[in-house]
Amino acid sequence: MKLAVLSESPADETALRGLIEAVLKITPAYVGPGFRARGWPNVAQVLPAVIRHLHFNTNADALVVVVDADDSVVHTPEHDEPGYFHPQCRMCQLRAVHRKTIKKFPPARGRERVLRVVGVAVPAIEAWYLAGRDHSVSEAAWIDGQASGRQPYSRAELKWRVYATDRPSLPHEIVCALREVERIRRDPRRLEHDFPGFAALATDLRAAQRESVK
Amino acid sequence: MRSITGVETHAAALLRHCHEAKCGHVGDVIASVAFRNFKALRRTQIELTPFNLVIGPNGSGKTSLIEALLTLRTLSRLPLADPAVVERQGGIEIEFRFDPPHDGIAAHLGCTSEAMCDLLRINPPEAPGWPGLQAELGQIRSYVLDHNALARTSLRDDGTRLHSDGSNLASVLARMREEKPDAFSAFTEEMLRLMPEFQGLELIEHADDRVEFALRLAEDGVVPAQEVSQGMLYLLGVLALAFDPHPATVLCIEEVDRGIHPRTLREVRDLLYRLSYPASFGSDRRPVQIIATTHSPYFIDLFRDHPEEVVISHKHGRAAQLSRLSDRLDLADLMKESTLGDMWFSGILGGVPEERS
Repeated sequence: MKLAVLSESPADETALRGLIEAVLKITPAYVGPGFRARGWPNVAQVLPAVIRHLHFNTNADALVVVVDADDSVVHTPEHDEPGYFHPQCRMCQLRAVHRKTIKKFPPARGRERVLRVVGVAVPAIEAWYLAGRDHSVSEAAWIDGQASGRQPYSRAELKWRVYATDRPSLPHEIVCALREVERIRRDPRRLEHDFPGFAALATDLRAAQRESVK
Repeated sequence: MRSITGVETHAAALLRHCHEAKCGHVGDVIASVAFRNFKALRRTQIELTPFNLVIGPNGSGKTSLIEALLTLRTLSRLPLADPAVVERQGGIEIEFRFDPPHDGIAAHLGCTSEAMCDLLRINPPEAPGWPGLQAELGQIRSYVLDHNALARTSLRDDGTRLHSDGSNLASVLARMREEKPDAFSAFTEEMLRLMPEFQGLELIEHADDRVEFALRLAEDGVVPAQEVSQGMLYLLGVLALAFDPHPATVLCIEEVDRGIHPRTLREVRDLLYRLSYPASFGSDRRPVQIIATTHSPYFIDLFRDHPEEVVISHKHGRAAQLSRLSDRLDLADLMKESTLGDMWFSGILGGVPEERS
């Protein structure tokens, strides 16, 4: 199985690789070097070109894309209804970009299309790192906060809880992320349970894994 | 806070509150600079934070801000002027305020022309803290790194502090290795992390007391400084500043992104943060106040979490105004729609060149 990763930083990519392996229980091959975007909405802007490149120029089975939700509308099961699309939901937006992009492509490199594996970290990837360690942090807590107008924590607070500073160096970010991912990968079910935005990524990954062995 | 411009912005108020509450950060030197009729900076002021990234079109006063600081450094070493003399100079004035413990002192530069500021007075005139502040102002340094200079062979004893163009980098590194081996070791470790194609830094001392450096490749062979790429030379210069065992109190660095790949800019920002926020990097040494300039949208993107560190120079005709990016009350909403760099380039944030219609 060969994957490509589109992320915002080397720290995110390192952590994602650990989480991918925790879900798949194998170490897949990766298209290198990893693809980068400069945060939202740059991810959505660069995504069609990345998909085109992967489809025609590589033998990647799937593209893994993870973005932070920030203050956007959080993806819910209602969004998964056939034909539903929420214009402020980043999961819906990224899936739509993928769908529209591959629609135009003929088969290439022996496969119909590059599969999509999309995750949205609510509100930021640091929340995933805290899964199972800080019980106040979950997607449900964030959604409740959005509804009440009082968020339980901010992105900056999450950074503090993970890195113990709001200005972590890149190596420090990687060390902290790997420490948490190492803990999470022993049993990623808690992360999947508390963060449906990660569960969606895990579901896509398993589907891509099944597809790749056909 | 009363200034020569008489203006206090929203960000200034926030920053003043921050200064008063200390915000857990001590060691800054310059609290604010106010300009009147100085080059493009006709009537504007800016509150300075520990880290300041100044952006704006060419000729909008970014370099003038740094020049003002260097003039303050120079004049602070000389006898103070008679207060009456400074007030007589044709309306060109620069006023500095300082952070604790020197917050009771104001310094005024008087100028005879836009190009000549040669008088300094302080208020109160006999401030007991002036000698201490003088010592701090003497440690303001400014850099416009030059890749040709950085690669130069230099005299073995050509100082422990990097020259403003980086021309004594080899001797600075040689002295660091000799006198501060721990700092040299940290420098080398970070250099090798950022430049994985190399496995070591070599310092070659010549019989005529000159020293040069070279980089040993991870595979095989040595790349002499003259053949090191421009971007890597700039990165070495920033690294030397970040690991300087005797850092400045205020460090100004122009075009900090020069020659460096966009993906490596995060590392450059982190190197500078290492100076201005040492506690975040596990160091208990005194912070260095930084004023950096850039024209790179990619570098600006890196300040999404700290827009209060970005200063925008807005140019209208020949006059420019400085403002904090965080002054934009709609900034949080704007950042939902685009990246900072793209918004700056588009003109939404201001700080772009004027165009003939």
